[in-house]
Amino acid sequence: MLEDVGIPTVIVAVQAFRRRLETMSVPRALLTPHLMGRPIGRPGDREQQRMVIQAALKLLETADQGGTLIDFKA
Amino acid sequence: MTEETANKETFESFKNSFFYGSRTNLNFKFLEHLPEDEADLFFQGLLKHLGEAYDGADYSHVTAYIIEWQIKGYDKPKGFAYETGPFQALAKPVAESRLGLLTSSGHFVKGEDPEPLGVKNMTQDEATRRVFDFLKEEPQLSSIPIDIPPELMHVRHGGYDICGSERDFNSTLPIQRLRELEKEGAIGELVSPVYSFVGACSQKRLLTKTGPRWIALLQEQNFDAMLLVPV
Repeated sequence: MLEDVGIPTVIVAVQAFRRRLETMSVPRALLTPHLMGRPIGRPGDREQQRMVIQAALKLLETADQGGTLIDFKA
Repeated sequence: MTEETANKETFESFKNSFFYGSRTNLNFKFLEHLPEDEADLFFQGLLKHLGEAYDGADYSHVTAYIIEWQIKGYDKPKGFAYETGPFQALAKPVAESRLGLLTSSGHFVKGEDPEPLGVKNMTQDEATRRVFDFLKEEPQLSSIPIDIPPELMHVRHGGYDICGSERDFNSTLPIQRLRELEKEGAIGELVSPVYSFVGACSQKRLLTKTGPRWIALLQEQNFDAMLLVPV
C-alpha cells in the first residue's frame, strides 16, 4: 500500500516467511537466515545486525522491479 | 478401550500442543504445520543435535537445525495472494533519503501502553493466551522516538517469542543500527518517531480500515522510503 502512494519500501524478514512474501508479490524483501523473532539478527550481535541493514538499504537502491526477493549472505 | 488408553495423548496432539496449547512455545509453534511423520523426524534430529552439542562449545548447529525446520513449517502459501504488486523506485540515494521504520514487533514506550483488548498492563502470558482475540481486533500503532532510552522500551506480542526482542530490540526494531548508519552518512535521515504494532491482528481490518489510515499518517511525514520488518 505504501508503494501505491509513492513510498518505496524494503522488507527484512526471516527465510521462513519466503513463501508468504512471494504470494503477496511484495516489492522488495531481504530474507535472513535467522530464527523467527530475530529477523535483523541475534540479540547483541551488532555487526550481524548492521550487515543486514546495509544489505536491505542496498536492495532498496538497486531493485528495479517488484517481487525482488534476495537471500542475505553474511 | 480402557480409561487409560482413552486418555493417552496422541503424537499429533503432542506436537500441536506447542501451538497455543498445553505446551505453548512460540519458538516451536511451527510443529502444528508439520505432518506427523515430519514432526517425528524433527524431534529425532533435534535430540541428535542436542547430543552432539554435549561435548562442544559450539551450539550453532542446533540453531541452524531449528531454522531449517521453521522454514519447512512455514513453506505454505497463507494470507492474501496477489499476482503482481506495486513497485516504486527510490527517487534518490539512501544517503540522501528520509527513511522511516515500521515493524510488527509489538514494541511500545513504557507509559504509553496501547492497552490491547481494553486490558491495562497486559502480560506477555495473557497476550499469548488471547492471541485468537488479537486476531479479530484492529491493530494499534505505537510511535517510538528514535532517541528513546532503552530502559523505556517495552515489547508484548502473543504471536512470537519475544525473548530476543526483550534482550535487544534491534533484533526486530533496529533503531540503534539505523542511527549509527545515519551518523556515518549512509542514511540521509532516520525519521522520528518509528512505528510498531502487533502483527497478530485482523488482517482484513488492517487491509481495509487501519492500513489506509496509517498510510495517510505516514504520508504526512514525507518519507522517501521505509524499512518494514514483519516479525
